[in-house]
Amino acid sequence: MEAPPVTMMPVTGGTINMMEYLLQGSVLDHSLESLIHRLRGLCDNMELETFLDHEMVFLLKGQQASPFVLRARRSMDRAGAPWHLRYLGQPEVGDKNRHALVRNCVDIATSENLTDFLMEMGFRMDHEFVAKGHLFRKGIMKIMVYKIYRILVPGNTESIEALSLSYLVELSVVAPAGQDMVSDDMRNFAEQLKPLVHLEKIDPKRLM
Amino acid sequence: MGVTCVSQMPVAEGKSVQQTVELLTRKLEMLGAEKQGTFCVDCETYHTAASTLGSQGQTGKLMYVMHNSEYPLSCFALFENGPCLIADTNFDVLMVKLKGFFQSAKASKIETRGTRYQYCDFLVKVGTVTMGPSARGISVEVEYGPCVVASDCWNLLLEFLQSFLGSHTPGAPTVFGNRHDTVYGPADTMVQYMELFNKIRKQQQVPVAGIR
Repeated sequence: MEAPPVTMMPVTGGTINMMEYLLQGSVLDHSLESLIHRLRGLCDNMELETFLDHEMVFLLKGQQASPFVLRARRSMDRAGAPWHLRYLGQPEVGDKNRHALVRNCVDIATSENLTDFLMEMGFRMDHEFVAKGHLFRKGIMKIMVYKIYRILVPGNTESIEALSLSYLVELSVVAPAGQDMVSDDMRNFAEQLKPLVHLEKIDPKRLM
Repeated sequence: MGVTCVSQMPVAEGKSVQQTVELLTRKLEMLGAEKQGTFCVDCETYHTAASTLGSQGQTGKLMYVMHNSEYPLSCFALFENGPCLIADTNFDVLMVKLKGFFQSAKASKIETRGTRYQYCDFLVKVGTVTMGPSARGISVEVEYGPCVVASDCWNLLLEFLQSFLGSHTPGAPTVFGNRHDTVYGPADTMVQYMELFNKIRKQQQVPVAGIR
């Protein structure tokens, strides 16, 4: 059970609905260096930023057909950073001309006892993974190039194994609802990364 | 945040809630405390919706979502005898999305509002606890800023409380409990408020007119 479509309601109950606009692609390991090189040239000038995160996906099953999904993410290399709780809605079924995947998103910074609290609420962990890679920024656009690692022993983030021989590339923007020109800017930026990587709108439902 | 004690001040014999609050604040001002703005602590109750209960076979739990004007960008979510989560204000937006799983008991929204007084290292907040339009009691919060370990300063706090609460001075809060040497934090204050609100909810309505 989801809240009603959010693009029609930029403001609900006094808070602005934020949408995540997303384009995804991938590169094989051996092409990583050239992609990073090009991104360093195109993106905002800053020190090369890497991240190592541990993400856990929690589900709350109710009588509704689809369970409620929440993502809890913590940084493994930045001590003292808050945990990040994220809700992502269903992709908006918009016109085919919209270039990016659009979904409602709610981002919450929390204290460290997040997993205990979610369990108390009735959530159960569905799966977890480790993400390790690089982060770039261009204006409000965020570009992440990272590798996903499977956790071999539940809860033990030391023993991990790469899921594939490639890196996932994500171009995303979080903006208030109703700002469709954002996806045009994203498409233009994605053009500049061709042919190193093809970023496109990938509907998660079609993968299942 | 320094070690804090939250307690309830009973309404004085033959007086209204507002009059008792005025008596207290006058005592504080005579002590030499300075008025420093206002404060508000509110609490909403959510319970697990019946639809979620069936599949999990557990009794419904009550979840409290609270806000404290001392921490305007934060939201506190807690379970009785359970963990207290400190999150930013987007947590309220998430609760709207979770409408189908957690129902808000609208009628039980409770809050306390009043004045803040600074007296040297003590921060005293005297508030009127209201549920809807009716005043149900008085909350008194005293924080001793310089110390964050409960066992180190409880005696000092007690002495200060006695100086203006007299015979209504409370005992040591249960949150101090057996964790005498751990660092005190805002979550502990919110737990105290939750216990106070629950106590007031169970009490009978104060038999005088509400705030005038």
